[in-house]
Amino acid sequence: MVDPDEPNGAIPAAEAPDVVAPASASDDVLRVEHIAKRFGPVTALRDVNLHLKKGEVLGLLGDNGAGKSTLIKIISGFQKQDSGNMLLRGQPYAPKSVDDARAQGIDTVYQDLALIDELSVYHNLFLRRERVFKPLPLLANRQMKREARTALDEIGINIPKIDVAVARLSGGQRQAIAVARTVNSDADIILLDEPLAAMGAKEGAQILDLVARLKQEGKVSIIMILHNYVHVLQACDRVSMIQDGVIALDKPTAETSVEELTDIVVNEYRRAREEAHAEAAQQGG
Amino acid sequence: MASVASDPASTGPGGPEGPAQSRRALPSWREIGSRLVALREGSIIVITLVVAIYFSVNTSSFLTGGNLETLLPYFAPFAILAAGEVFVMILGEIDLSIAGMYLFAPIIYYKLNTSVGLSLGLSLIGALLICLAVGAVNGVFVSVLGINSFVTTLGTLFTFEGLSLIISKGTPVATPGGQVPVGTFGKVFGAGTYSELIWAIGIVVLLQIVLTFTRWGLYTVAIGSNKLGAAEAGVRVNLVMIRNFMLCALTAGLVGIFEAIRAQTVQPNPAGPNEILFFAVAAAVIGGTLLTGGSGTVVGALIGALFLGILKDGLILQGVQANYLLFYTGLAVIVAMTANVFVGRARRGHTGSG
Repeated sequence: MVDPDEPNGAIPAAEAPDVVAPASASDDVLRVEHIAKRFGPVTALRDVNLHLKKGEVLGLLGDNGAGKSTLIKIISGFQKQDSGNMLLRGQPYAPKSVDDARAQGIDTVYQDLALIDELSVYHNLFLRRERVFKPLPLLANRQMKREARTALDEIGINIPKIDVAVARLSGGQRQAIAVARTVNSDADIILLDEPLAAMGAKEGAQILDLVARLKQEGKVSIIMILHNYVHVLQACDRVSMIQDGVIALDKPTAETSVEELTDIVVNEYRRAREEAHAEAAQQGG
Repeated sequence: MASVASDPASTGPGGPEGPAQSRRALPSWREIGSRLVALREGSIIVITLVVAIYFSVNTSSFLTGGNLETLLPYFAPFAILAAGEVFVMILGEIDLSIAGMYLFAPIIYYKLNTSVGLSLGLSLIGALLICLAVGAVNGVFVSVLGINSFVTTLGTLFTFEGLSLIISKGTPVATPGGQVPVGTFGKVFGAGTYSELIWAIGIVVLLQIVLTFTRWGLYTVAIGSNKLGAAEAGVRVNLVMIRNFMLCALTAGLVGIFEAIRAQTVQPNPAGPNEILFFAVAAAVIGGTLLTGGSGTVVGALIGALFLGILKDGLILQGVQANYLLFYTGLAVIVAMTANVFVGRARRGHTGSG
């Protein structure tokens, strides 16, 4: 069992927990400090500390209900924390809305992808940032097609035809376009909410390749919620596991294994079950 | 008409990677056929042509100048009504209150002119502004309050048909500007032989451009296709929806005034407008606009209206008894719709269209 009070595993000492020295914030694009969130009687997050370095891919793990979606929603400006604070590029970060977070460079690819099936690939890529012939309100479709082609080529997404409706594309291609849209919108921190959910092996591989390419370029930092530990070890630099509302493990992927990650989850499950048994026995006796 | 119809399709085929030489070479018949199928309006164009050819062969008077003039009022008003309705239908909503606006606008126009003493032009503008306001109310109820559009607009339909009866006391009156000798104003706004046709073509072309080549049109399709997704992307959903309901009410009021000027009387009887409402929706649907939203074309609605007009006119020329007219129209609509669905499926299998 990993000690939850030691979240920074092998990360250099400059990143001491709790107290944030201004110098240490320089290579962290995002820091989440002591975040707590309750929903009525349910405590989703108790005391979460998380950091993301520039160009890093962080895998966020945790069982269903562990609080990872809540954390993503707080970072993306969808919900507000009850206590704790966040720092974005060293500055206090308290997004008022999703739009506000987006304006500050944090964008989320939700599971539903927010793609418009009936619109073409390039219209989806440029939704709300359409190019027009300036004095006229007419859409500059050719320009958007050209720029979309360039943008997709740059991050290595292969879509043969960009004027087909998105409805005709496969799940992997759709996910890729949703990711491309956030990259294209100048986001430098991208939150991916289960990008591999309901995806075939080949499509999943396409997305992981895309993440790898983005990482190689080093312009964006990524937090990715994943379920498959093999994918985590393959795609992420570091892994943070939320359990019971706190970060139970924070390690570079090079220093952990599928076995370790699995053990943590299974041990936690056994512990919780024994607790429940003991409680039931007490009540029964 | 076919050349107008091909404009919106240029978003689909063509484009930078479309081969330039195919545009210069004369297309073969086969190519024209597959181009037509690729168009969203393709199926209804084919069906309308078939019906037109059938009546040309089977009646001696279909292809005469005189008959074309009879044909015009059978479709031009529906084309304008359907053009506005398409903008609401693409959202996945429906506006039944266009029949109310169709009836109410000329009555307000009459009152502003005779009781308030405004000029013809100002009365027209005043009536249309009231239509816009009603459209905005529809839009707010549907988008902001989240009330079903069928229910909302059924309510405003009855309300404004009722108000029309109350204000007019149920008596027909002579339309200002529509009386003989008809002045320029009357000729421009409905009384001229080709007035409504010109308006219809102008409005259809303008609205098709708005739909295909502006952000407004793009967001309309986006909302109809994935409302939540559009909102997540930052589209101001309520604003677009309210705007579309306003547009729909505006076109309906305009047609109401055109028709009152053309007929020279304002008839405060909801029966006619209610029937017209159904024909306008039918024209939009036949033209390829989905009732479920996300897809639609204004040019298609115009051709749908033309189809219904040709059908009615042709059946009369063929000597079909008046009592059979609606029955045959009904059958033809079913056949046209079914054909539309099958051609639509073929189109979706066809590559290269967006």
